[in-house]
Amino acid sequence: MSEFLGYIRPNGDVGIRNHLLILSGTVYANGVCERVAGTIHGAVPITHANGRCQVAPDLRVTRRFLAGTAMNPNVGAVVIIDHFKEEGMTAEDLADDIAATGKPIATVNIRGDGGFISAVDKATRYAQDFARQISLDQREAAPMSKILFGTECGTSDTTSGLASNPANGLAGEILIAQGGRMLMAECTEWMGCENWLTDKAASPAVAEAILAGVRHMEARALASGEDIRGSQPTGDNMAGGLTTIEEKSMGAVKKIGDSPIIEYLEIAEAPTRTDPGNYVMYGPGMGAESISSMAAAGCQVLTFCTGGGHTSNHPIMPTIKVTGNRQSFELMRDTVDVDISGVFYDEITLAEAGQIVYDEVERVCNGYLTKSEALRDNNSFAIHRVGPSI
Amino acid sequence: MKKVFVVYAADNVGTAVLEPIQVGDHVGCNGERSDLEVVALDDIAYGHKIALMDIAAGDTVLKYGLSIGSATREIKEGEHVHAHNVESNRGRGDLAGSGALRAE
Repeated sequence: MSEFLGYIRPNGDVGIRNHLLILSGTVYANGVCERVAGTIHGAVPITHANGRCQVAPDLRVTRRFLAGTAMNPNVGAVVIIDHFKEEGMTAEDLADDIAATGKPIATVNIRGDGGFISAVDKATRYAQDFARQISLDQREAAPMSKILFGTECGTSDTTSGLASNPANGLAGEILIAQGGRMLMAECTEWMGCENWLTDKAASPAVAEAILAGVRHMEARALASGEDIRGSQPTGDNMAGGLTTIEEKSMGAVKKIGDSPIIEYLEIAEAPTRTDPGNYVMYGPGMGAESISSMAAAGCQVLTFCTGGGHTSNHPIMPTIKVTGNRQSFELMRDTVDVDISGVFYDEITLAEAGQIVYDEVERVCNGYLTKSEALRDNNSFAIHRVGPSI
Repeated sequence: MKKVFVVYAADNVGTAVLEPIQVGDHVGCNGERSDLEVVALDDIAYGHKIALMDIAAGDTVLKYGLSIGSATREIKEGEHVHAHNVESNRGRGDLAGSGALRAE
């Protein structure tokens, strides 16, 4: 079993980065968060449009996204800022959720601390202390079994189902063989290959949850007036050569390998199991929400398989872009990390492509910056809504 | 020789990824099959599939080593494989809804 060098947290989790998070509790604290993060070395702001006037089930999901992001092993310390005392979403509520991780946390309330200027002052001082405190942390050897490897696909094309997704599934198998776990969300893409997934389910309960998740997502879309069953594959998919929903979905879900599916998770929920294998999560195909839900579940690293090319990058979870489309790689050389298009030119086998993807994941776990990290293009934090604003 | 890509050895279709195929082209395979060669009976556009062997009406069309649907009629080796000769096997209740019309 191989090891990597990571940041061992008080609760035993292991991070591959050591970020200082400046977390906004509500939309109205975003300005303070950005001001603080702009001042402090290495600080990452997490801002969003939520936290106010949400129905209770929706607010609970938002809280899970925010707390989960702060609990992610890649976060070394957290400063949380809220603007007032929104019931169920105060800085203290979020701090309570995060406390069990044992990482340093500070809270600031804009009203309670005397307005914008005083809140920026107080939060910046906390952030400065934390930035220096976590700068003392050293990477230490940890087993690869500590890695929860998230995976996503987007802006897919013909090459995705044929190369980048199956190669990614093979990379996941290499990690799982060392005791690690792989997580896939986007249950909209399970439609048409539910049986392929349920055949892998570790228990009947997991299988039933997978089927229920797909039904729920279909019903949710239908309630909004869109029959996603009848409209899949879409017209441009068909023109591109995809014939049936099975074909489209298989191309997508092949980004996990053949290992058993250990657990089904609700969106942004951390696994309760540590068994090696695959894990699946309810959630939309919308990339930023999907990868944010996986970061909130604790994924330290994510591969994002793309055909046409993609810029997606999560602020605290390194997002490795993988493509099987050589033209996309050439066009987006500063953004897409791994090119495995060689499988189409008899240059490499699919198995070799899987090893190439895995090797990149392992390097990134050891600290190697992804292209988007080097660019600080932290574009993909988004929270999934399950209710209307009221 | 032009080539199509075969994802899994058990597949009975290949995908035109490197270049489009014209009627009469001799077509080889890469990916998990290098031993097959067929003559194209149709033009096959980029991203579209060609039958690597005869597929009987009702037989399963295999890509990724898995079913992507069933042949609605006999498909000859070298024919274009798409919505005109394959249908989904997934629960078809959706076809009763207006959404099905948007698929075209």
